Amino acid sequence: MEKKGSKRQAVLDALTGQGLSREAMARVAELTGVPEADVYGVGTFYTLLAEPGPRVCQGLSCKLAGGDALAEKLEAKGTVHRVSCLGQCDRAPVSLGENNRLDVAGPRGGISPDNPGLVMNLAGEDDPSYPALAWARKMGGEAVIDELEASGLQGRGGAGFPAHIKWRAVRAEAEPTKYVVCNADEGEPGTFKDREIMLRRPQLMLEALAIAAFVTGCEAIYIYVRGEFPEETDALKAALAKGGLEDFEFRFIEGHGAYICGEETALIESIEGRRGMPRLKPPYPTQQGLWGKPTLMNNVETLACVPDILLRGGARFLALGKTEPGTKLYCLSGHVNNPGVYELPLGASLNELVAAGGGFVGTPLAFSPGGASSGVLPMSLADEPLDFKSLAAHGSMLGSAGVVVLNDTVDMAWVAQVQAVFFEDESCGQCAPCRIGARLVRQALDRYLQSGNPDNLEHIEELAWEMTEGSICGLGMVAAEPAVTARRHFSDHFGVRP
Amino acid sequence: MSDFEIMIDGQTVGASDGETVLTAAIRAGVSIPTLCHDPRLDPAAACRTCLVEVSGSGRLQPACAWKAQADMTVVTENPRIKRHRAVLLSMYLADHALDDEGLPVERPNGNQLREMVIKEGHAFDLVPVAAPRGNREDKNPYVQFNPDACILCARCTRYCDEVEAVSAISLAGRGSATTISTVAERSLLDTSCELCGGCIDVCPTGAMFEGKAPVHAPEAIEKVRSTCNFCGVGCQLDLNVLDGKVIKVTAPPPGTTVNDGNLCVKGRFAYDFVHHDDRLTTPLIRRDDGELHPCSWDEAISAAAAGLLAVKKNHGADALGFISSARCTVEENYLVQKMSRAAFGTNNCHQCAAT
Ligand SMILES: Cc1cc2nc3c(=O)[nH]c(=O)nc-3n(C[C@H](O)[C@H](O)[C@H](O)COP(=O)(O)O)c2cc1C
Ligand code: SF4
Repeated sequence: MEKKGSKRQAVLDALTGQGLSREAMARVAELTGVPEADVYGVGTFYTLLAEPGPRVCQGLSCKLAGGDALAEKLEAKGTVHRVSCLGQCDRAPVSLGENNRLDVAGPRGGISPDNPGLVMNLAGEDDPSYPALAWARKMGGEAVIDELEASGLQGRGGAGFPAHIKWRAVRAEAEPTKYVVCNADEGEPGTFKDREIMLRRPQLMLEALAIAAFVTGCEAIYIYVRGEFPEETDALKAALAKGGLEDFEFRFIEGHGAYICGEETALIESIEGRRGMPRLKPPYPTQQGLWGKPTLMNNVETLACVPDILLRGGARFLALGKTEPGTKLYCLSGHVNNPGVYELPLGASLNELVAAGGGFVGTPLAFSPGGASSGVLPMSLADEPLDFKSLAAHGSMLGSAGVVVLNDTVDMAWVAQVQAVFFEDESCGQCAPCRIGARLVRQALDRYLQSGNPDNLEHIEELAWEMTEGSICGLGMVAAEPAVTARRHFSDHFGVRP
Repeated sequence: MSDFEIMIDGQTVGASDGETVLTAAIRAGVSIPTLCHDPRLDPAAACRTCLVEVSGSGRLQPACAWKAQADMTVVTENPRIKRHRAVLLSMYLADHALDDEGLPVERPNGNQLREMVIKEGHAFDLVPVAAPRGNREDKNPYVQFNPDACILCARCTRYCDEVEAVSAISLAGRGSATTISTVAERSLLDTSCELCGGCIDVCPTGAMFEGKAPVHAPEAIEKVRSTCNFCGVGCQLDLNVLDGKVIKVTAPPPGTTVNDGNLCVKGRFAYDFVHHDDRLTTPLIRRDDGELHPCSWDEAISAAAAGLLAVKKNHGADALGFISSARCTVEENYLVQKMSRAAFGTNNCHQCAAT
């Protein structure tokens, strides 16, 4: 229940850099009018607030590249928090120092060479005249949505939901106050494509947001950038400062260390100043989103495709795809020569992607096609299209297209354990199947790795079944996938470190 | 009056716009297990025990939150739902204090998780997860919390916020470390808590419990409905009687009495006077020896009347003043002012809650 006149929205900003002492809570409560215990509940949810300070990545790609040794080295020097994802798999192993700025990191990862035929063309130059916005203004909102529909653009945040349906739904809402939100909370291990768009082509995304606000009649545009990406926020602000979008109100929100806030309704809760716990759906954000108002939320990459679709036509975008519409930014890391972000026709295979990324290191054994959430697949699928439909048919998903390659030097049980740590850490804790299940799975893998006794894994599949059936959101639904798929496909390499 | 019909387990049930599947099911006498549901609170659907099949959704959906719609078909019992409940309860068992038989422990207010496991069964035994929930020492004598019996259904925090508008407690931490906490884990005495004890009443597993009540088997308790006499509102309460003694006070279920399941700190916790040695059980008169002596009501009232009349006669009516108690009913308070004004003729009357 909100107290009259309270400024809940200000809670997270007010908590930044304050610590969680009683005095700090009292100050923030006083400032915002939100009850102290409530402020404390919010603060303890976010790791950048609860445990500020340097962090070292313990995600799969970082561990493959010596993340453990780096962690030990940094720990010898002082306090550093071990975390499961910093969104820099191409630069592994990495650590963040003060103010969440990169401390230790490898050279910047690769990108596709400059090619004006590409949709996002990370190596290209932004056009400061915002031509697609001019096109939208001239042709009108319906024409924009028709073009999106013709393009077949599917949401790039993970679910692949057709973009035009959401745009049309929000445009059709009679409610006068509506919002556009850009989901730049990119936090799925193995994924760092939105990061590259923000750093290299920020105007593409800003322009699309302005178009979205124009088309749907939205009041303000929120950009929610993960807290571990301060440079990306800087880049967006710098691009905005160059001018051209003064008609639109952009508001930046920094995340505070919670992967779950990438889930759209958790992200909305977080903007509103609450614990980032996903809401029940329906209602969907397009109906009741931010502050209960119709809200259009898209992923950075989804947005970055929009200018090209308008300028060169939806039909061209559609035709660029191999098995599904358009091009796609694939993030590549792990056992490959040139980790990075490669823009390929949607439906390119693993082998094609790795060819773009300089080839395999060692003898490839497995790959994870779409971040930790997608589990692991065998190399027999290396020529299958990496798209939404075929990966789903193989019991996996394209998700965020965070592709991690693993060669035959890894123990797949260990891989599953690394991913399980991530999900246990990042579960919001709201619903029992995920809160308890993610911990059960991680502990079972720990015990198995210590003892070699497969009895420890006896109930994993059944737990996974229930997590998928019973969890509120997508995190819990997939949290046991790495364990289940590693067991399903890699009985020869499970618990064996050759 | 229902707006449309839905089908629950083959039975046709009337439902209204905005109503949940659970509400319609309860009315139809179909039982669906719940732990985090409370009719006074917005649904959280966090405990996941009420998941059912609803037409039009491939996923199981929470009956407590899912809105009934015309021509909807609901299934509350089938092999899929049975499997879901059994595995879910196995998970809960791995995250809960258990007794020697491996069941969720008995708690002072009962434990609905225990009852549910006994009724629904569970799939398999798991190694306890030993979630890092911490434990808060709290010196207040009334409301205590045992994290090992907590299922994080958040009924207590939602009640404290949505019903009491106090928000003295909140979900804190994240993931398996989530717990119920006050600000910076302070004692409730040191927070905005009003010690209404509603969190104890709403807790399904007895994780929130009354510090001073003895642990007992719920069957041994006789509940005696009574009216709270601390103020004139007239809240109904249930005196929990064991061996002829009130050992605890609980609120009647929400929706059944005027106080809708709520009580305040006095009604819920201030019952020690009932059996206290110092409690007056008969009127007393101070006799010439200066000591108080038991007497009858007639004697006491006559003595009081004589004293009051003597003051009026010697010093005038305005030398008298009448103060009545907030513990009296409206009618009793009315009579006191009537006596003051009409019988004795003074406007010097007041009631301790009138300021
Ligand atoms: C656990 C979880 C994490 C998510 N993380 C992200 C994320 O970091 N970025 C993102 O754009 N979408 C993320 N999503 C998907 C969003 O909920 C949502 O579908 C998306 O932002 C919609 O945009 P799109 O239609 O453009 O893909 C996540 C979903 C789940 C369930
Ligand atoms: S599935 Fe996990 S992350 Fe999602 S709501 Fe439930 S506890 Fe939170």
